[in-house]
Amino acid sequence: MQTKRKTLLEARNLTKTFTTPEGKPFTVLEDIHLELQEGEIVALLGRSGSGKSTLLRCLSGLLRPSAGEVRYRGQPVQGPMPGMAMVFQSFALFPWLTVQQNVELGLEAMGIPAPQRRQKALEAIDLVGLDGFEKAFPKELSGGMRQRVGFARALVTEPEVLFMDEPMSALDVLTAETLRLELLNLWQSGRLPLKGILLVTHNIEEAVLLADRILVLSSNPGRIRAEVAVTLGHPREREDPAFQELVEEIYCILTTRPAPERATLEPLTLGHRLPQAPVGALAGLLERVAEGPDYGKEDLPRLAEEMRLEVDDLFPLLDAAELLGLAVLQAGDIQLTAEGQRFVKAGLEGRKRIFAERLLQQVPLVGHIHRVLNTRPTGRAPEERFLRELEDYMSTEDAEKVLATAIGWGRYAELFEYDYNTGLLSRSEEVASPAAG
Amino acid sequence: MRRVFPSPEVLRPRAPFSRWDLVVIPGVLVLLLLLTLALRGATAPYGPNTPDLTVSLNPAHLPYYGLRTLLRMLAALLLSLAFTLVYATIAAKVPRTERVLIPILDFLQSLPILGFLTATTAIFLGLFRGNLFGLEAASIFAIFTSQVWNMTFSFYASLRTLPRELQEAAAMLRLSPWQRFWKLEVPFGLPNLVWNAMMSVSGGWFFVVASEVISVVGRDQDQYLPGVGAYIALAIQQADAQAMLWAGLTLFLLVLLYDQLLFRPVVAWAEKFKFEQSESSDTAQSWVLTLLQRARFSQRIARLPQPLWEWLWLKSARGHRPGVALEPPPKPRLRTRLADLGFNLLIALGSLALVGGLLGYLLGPGLGFGNGQMLRPNPNLNTQLSPEIAQRFAALGITPGADGSVWLSQLCAASRGGQALSSGLKALLETPGVWAPANLAAACQAPLAPAGKVAWPEVLEVFKLGFFTALRVTFFVLLVTLIWLPIGVYVGLRPRLTQWVQPLAQFGAAFPANLLFPLFVVTIAHFRLNPEIWVSPLMVLGGQWYILFNAIAGSAAIPNDLKEAARLYGLRGWNHWRRLILPAIFPAFVTGGITATGGSWNASIVAEVVQWGDTTLVATGLGAYIARWSTGEFNPHVGLGMLVMGLLVLAYNRLIWRRLYQLAEERYRLD
Ligand SMILES: Nc1ncnc2c1ncn2[C@@H]1O[C@H](COP(=O)(O)OP(=O)(O)OP(=O)(O)O)[C@@H](O)[C@H]1O
Ligand SMILES: [Mg+2]
Repeated sequence: MQTKRKTLLEARNLTKTFTTPEGKPFTVLEDIHLELQEGEIVALLGRSGSGKSTLLRCLSGLLRPSAGEVRYRGQPVQGPMPGMAMVFQSFALFPWLTVQQNVELGLEAMGIPAPQRRQKALEAIDLVGLDGFEKAFPKELSGGMRQRVGFARALVTEPEVLFMDEPMSALDVLTAETLRLELLNLWQSGRLPLKGILLVTHNIEEAVLLADRILVLSSNPGRIRAEVAVTLGHPREREDPAFQELVEEIYCILTTRPAPERATLEPLTLGHRLPQAPVGALAGLLERVAEGPDYGKEDLPRLAEEMRLEVDDLFPLLDAAELLGLAVLQAGDIQLTAEGQRFVKAGLEGRKRIFAERLLQQVPLVGHIHRVLNTRPTGRAPEERFLRELEDYMSTEDAEKVLATAIGWGRYAELFEYDYNTGLLSRSEEVASPAAG
Repeated sequence: MRRVFPSPEVLRPRAPFSRWDLVVIPGVLVLLLLLTLALRGATAPYGPNTPDLTVSLNPAHLPYYGLRTLLRMLAALLLSLAFTLVYATIAAKVPRTERVLIPILDFLQSLPILGFLTATTAIFLGLFRGNLFGLEAASIFAIFTSQVWNMTFSFYASLRTLPRELQEAAAMLRLSPWQRFWKLEVPFGLPNLVWNAMMSVSGGWFFVVASEVISVVGRDQDQYLPGVGAYIALAIQQADAQAMLWAGLTLFLLVLLYDQLLFRPVVAWAEKFKFEQSESSDTAQSWVLTLLQRARFSQRIARLPQPLWEWLWLKSARGHRPGVALEPPPKPRLRTRLADLGFNLLIALGSLALVGGLLGYLLGPGLGFGNGQMLRPNPNLNTQLSPEIAQRFAALGITPGADGSVWLSQLCAASRGGQALSSGLKALLETPGVWAPANLAAACQAPLAPAGKVAWPEVLEVFKLGFFTALRVTFFVLLVTLIWLPIGVYVGLRPRLTQWVQPLAQFGAAFPANLLFPLFVVTIAHFRLNPEIWVSPLMVLGGQWYILFNAIAGSAAIPNDLKEAARLYGLRGWNHWRRLILPAIFPAFVTGGITATGGSWNASIVAEVVQWGDTTLVATGLGAYIARWSTGEFNPHVGLGMLVMGLLVLAYNRLIWRRLYQLAEERYRLD
């Protein structure tokens, strides 16, 4: 180990709680300890909704932790500090300002007079390779170029810490790769006063490619569940066996549930956050696993690579498969269960039947909706009714997503019907009058 | 900096002048000259001894009148803008204030605009004592109240819907509140604000015509402020058709000028503030904007105040101080609870005091009761408020109010409860224009409301009038919808036609419909039609255009792929309408409908009582009620009328439009 480096940013016992619309608190982050040392790139990985963005915003001072504290160079963080900068997933450029005006914005906040502002901004624009586009408006630029403006705007203030929230996920694969390499070059060239980078990502390979340390967050509530040091030298090659081993290791961590989470998995509650997995994609995934060379078992990194899925697309599918008991996840592999095999082999009608069975057995929310509709004489209920119930457990936004997922599944399984225009759920015809058949 | 290809800008020699300056500089000078001219007229001395203000029907004066009217519109618009920025910002930013400010705004918005004229004249005359500007200010204020509310709402809504990511970016960059306001909040709200300002000004032309003739307490004659509106009012009074034509022409030119010189450039300029990720193809153009942008010398002059701005800018910067988080620091729960409780209590007490004060003002100290009995209405005997009759009452020892009103209670007092009528009084009560109860003694026996105040039975009566007006508004908005919706859709589905018709519809909305009222009056009088019915279309004359151009805009915005899909599936006739057109234009229709009904309610005050020369047509309704009482001083009757109309409009919007709007937002959005 090298000499002890200075701590740039640290979080102690950081906990973040939001309140549901019903006024009940729900914890998104719990007891997070984290340090960012000088000269380090740290990546935060975790499933969708695990609180990565929330953690990044707490660390940068945009949000205030509910408990615990964040320190930047030993000072408590109460708002964004001078020396911090952020790059956003959606670029967050001001569409009414030109590239140069966007870049100058951070300098204006620092009170730098116009001539210096102009010079520094032009230098920064030059640095990210956008010279010639100073007078362009963001909407005239491609995604990749917009993110370059995002980088220029962050770097022009000469920050020590750079926060990045999925900076590449809105870009196409090639552009993202180019930008990653350029960022790494800049970082290593020492041309910047930058001392540390904190990167949130969905992309496991991106994390392994860039970071010196990877922190993996668990979900509900988010805790730091594992820390993986990446000791590979640069440049890193994806084909390198050591690289692939690391990727595999992280998949393993992400697919093995820690003990307490496992315990809560079995008896699901009504308020369980159902993974957003469309039935079509789920069936596609299961089919692919069944057809694969290992007959019902597949290595996750390979699956992700082949199906071109990133963690945020892949894991909801895996979660759903596991939740419904159609597959199990183990040490970075997915394996179909007997039910899963049956599902894949069945025809359309058979699949719907199996799916309905699994849903009623495993997903309390679907069972609840089904029961309510069947006990009502009209056989109908507005979606708001269930939304209100879900809001006991989560934010409105999440509740809407969860209900949409449940409705999508239930419709596929023909457990109930849904009219988008009226927002009414209704009993499915066949179920309603079995005698008529 | 390294640049391989020099841009054309660098190569071209930059003279400080461009030939466009030759147009812009004289243009600006002329505008300034006209402005001083108008301002001089508007700030002339005006005291009790100044002769009554009047206008001349000679068309040669019209350019000057137009100038004065234009200036009033401009002043009102600037005021509205300033008010909007301050009010909406406070409501959106200062915690808890929105709970008070927004309902107030909602209520003020539903109050009939013309009622404000009587309410404020006295205040402004007192404020600018001895100067004509007092009257000008009253007129400007009336126009202001017709424009400001929807602008404020729009800006407030923008502030509440700032994109999260931009808020975060602004916080991360540590922009100061001042910088954030000008770089984030104002630009984001600008496109909507400009659009709403345009709508407002369209509506404003209608009210400018009605707000340039002001009755002032202590003067027998109405005061005609130099302006096109006053010109029209006089022409109507004298039934001068030729003057009406001249006025119509002037207004046509004014609306055109306003559009070309002010709104088109602003709209074209505001294009760049649209919050969209990709360039839209059809962007607004304006020759004036192009001209201004190319005039180099003028730009240089326009940039002179920039150092001051820059100084302010840097002065407000945070420098090396930390920024502010997007959430407030967590406060002890008990403290927030207590503060909340205190605040709510304060609001409750405040509203209670307000309602109490208001009822006291309307109904008198006993709130409509005396000796445990409900008081009876105390009507005004001088129904036309004619100064002559008022003088005859005065001669007989009954002092009329400043506006000429003579109350039943006064008559009772002067005749010992109606028992001892002098012969002079008896004769006076028989004159046309004077109303007295058939059985005076019995009427005097009942407990009467204090002079000038209203009684509870009257409140009921006014609600009934409001119901009639509501019926008219609803029926005629539905009727014009049936007419214009199909036409709008027909036009909207044909892009070439849309280009032609859309500006016409917008122009129609701006062109003040009151100019056409006399046509109706003459027709109705000629054919002896029932005014109760035939006066009503006047209310929607101005509002109908909003339905037309929203229908056009809505159907023009139907995405092409939807239209093609409909064609592929062979959707025809009614099914085509039901499945594609109606759902697609529903949100636009609701927007148009809200504007149209709001305008109609407001217009009812001028539309239920219309005049041409000696012919006056009156329809039973709340508008007519308010119009009848809006003479001179603000009084409890006008107050009651305004209050009831405000409540009815509020209920109307809540019960009908808000629901439809939500439906439109949730179900029928195309994006
Ligand atoms: N302001 C808020 N109010 C209420 N709940 C919130 C708020 N912000 C985030 N949440 C909730 O906190 C949880 C974590 O959200 P967060 O955005 O941090 O997750 P994430 O790991 O970044 O997810 P993703 O990968 O989808 O970006 C989610 O359930 C989210 O709905
Ligand atoms: Mg996130």
